[in-house]
Amino acid sequence: MPNIAVFIEQRDGKFKKVAWQMLSEAKRITAASGGEVWAVCLGADPAAEAAKYGADKVFTATGDSFGIYNSELWGAALAQFCTAQKPDLLLIGSTAMGKDLGPKVAAKLDCACISDAVGLTYEGGWTVRRPIYAGKCYIDVEPVTDLAVVGIRPNAFVLEEAAGAGAVEAFTPDLSAIEPKAVVQSIEAGEGGRVELTEAEIVVSGGRGIKGPENYALIEKLADALGAAAGASRAVVDAGWVDYSHQVGQTGKTVGPNLYIACGISGAIQHLAGMSSSKCIVAINKDANAPIFKAADYGVVADLFDVVPALTEEVIKLKG
Amino acid sequence: MKIAVCVKQVPDSETRIKLDAPSTELDQSSFTRVLNPYDAYAVEEAIKIKEAGSDVEVVAITIGPETVTETIKKDCLAVGCDKAILINDPALADADESALATVLTAVLQKDSYDLILFGIKAIDDDSGQIGIMVAEKMGLPHVATITQLDLGDGTLTAHREIEGGKEVVTAPLPAVLTCQKGLNEPRLPSLPNIMKAGMKPIDKLTCADLGLETPAAKAKIKMYYPPAARGECKLVEAEDPADAARELARLLNEEAKVI
Repeated sequence: MPNIAVFIEQRDGKFKKVAWQMLSEAKRITAASGGEVWAVCLGADPAAEAAKYGADKVFTATGDSFGIYNSELWGAALAQFCTAQKPDLLLIGSTAMGKDLGPKVAAKLDCACISDAVGLTYEGGWTVRRPIYAGKCYIDVEPVTDLAVVGIRPNAFVLEEAAGAGAVEAFTPDLSAIEPKAVVQSIEAGEGGRVELTEAEIVVSGGRGIKGPENYALIEKLADALGAAAGASRAVVDAGWVDYSHQVGQTGKTVGPNLYIACGISGAIQHLAGMSSSKCIVAINKDANAPIFKAADYGVVADLFDVVPALTEEVIKLKG
Repeated sequence: MKIAVCVKQVPDSETRIKLDAPSTELDQSSFTRVLNPYDAYAVEEAIKIKEAGSDVEVVAITIGPETVTETIKKDCLAVGCDKAILINDPALADADESALATVLTAVLQKDSYDLILFGIKAIDDDSGQIGIMVAEKMGLPHVATITQLDLGDGTLTAHREIEGGKEVVTAPLPAVLTCQKGLNEPRLPSLPNIMKAGMKPIDKLTCADLGLETPAAKAKIKMYYPPAARGECKLVEAEDPADAARELARLLNEEAKVI
């Protein structure tokens, strides 16, 4: 019977939603196959919420080592957890922290590491589904080691409350031998306020159709009305209109939100690759022949300068 | 100072995948292959350090078949790398990230590098694991996803991209870094330098040359699938953009239930 460990990421005591999504999926799997769901958290106590989403046990380590994220200390702690508890899977969200931590832990334990998964199946052994080529293709991967570290894409799994026992277990990693070499000296906030692209449930992106950097505000206003993240095509980033951290596509961020609104984006294949796993795609473009319409569920053939502000008004009214 | 840049040849981002039904294999024969775009930031950063200092050697290291040499010449040697190492071993055809990290670690340990640079990920398998794994296997610190690098005396300060901001990270050398877009603007090779690149050495090795048994994969690809097909696009038609916007908002709210 498989025991699934889920890393509960926190920064400043705030837990990442992907952690609850992973618990929900782990609970669905163990409900069918037996086994337990274990929440493991460094630096904060997630017991109450973890139990709500199905954690049978909650392992929490606190102390000075778990203030600001450090890959060497946190990686060692998670490796010690896996060595002691022997889960079948360690699920880690594909966030900036998770993508840093997963390969580190897997290399320490010399076990399989699978990135950015969107599906997990257990039939006596594990099958992990994940996109490659930024979503132009998907693969099923089977780990051959007793433990596999699996990165999980935010929003891949549906959040679902399912009570677990949430039994608090002692977890005191011994990190006395570790003198961290790479150390975070400070964290500088970026533009702030807006939701992060890869974790957002809604993304509004602007392409070359916005004509200039001054018009990106139209995209941001719609994003703000929706509580969405603001994205951009490569053309817009390469032109220097928007910071690269907004780029969606094969050479930018891959996103899979519930709703993706592409404004003035023609739909180059490398952009489509980065957003095609979105559950609902809307295209707003004045060129009816733009390839983006082939990828979209809803389309408006019109000038984004007319439609986007009007849509922003409608959204504000709806949310009113 | 000695810098290693670990690079990969990948299908161009315009590549279309030919796959109509689930298959145990993927036809890659028609792919146009280029240097992984993220690796170009690693190459550029190494060359910038070389140009700013004295006595800096930059070595490009890659794993792949003989056909990667053209990419290595054009996008590594012709833009300023001094030499290249190619591990060409058919036994690595089914290697996973862990196996490739083991091979790269063996290559890197044959010499003494102050900095080891990678791209954040390759745009084909999108794993982003190998640089971090190599650092762990070599017992070196790493900073992943960097957008700025400043070298001090035996130390480095790097900006690392995180959600909604950045971390400022310091580490002693030697260290492993993975490079993100924004770090620099990679230069293009000039025609004369492409010609001259043919004169620069490319060492060709196998696992046996490294004293390494072919490392076993810890994860195996069983099946390739095309992405789920989408239905027809529903066009919202209206004379007035305000009407179109209102109808779109209604559909997203009532039909798709996403807002």
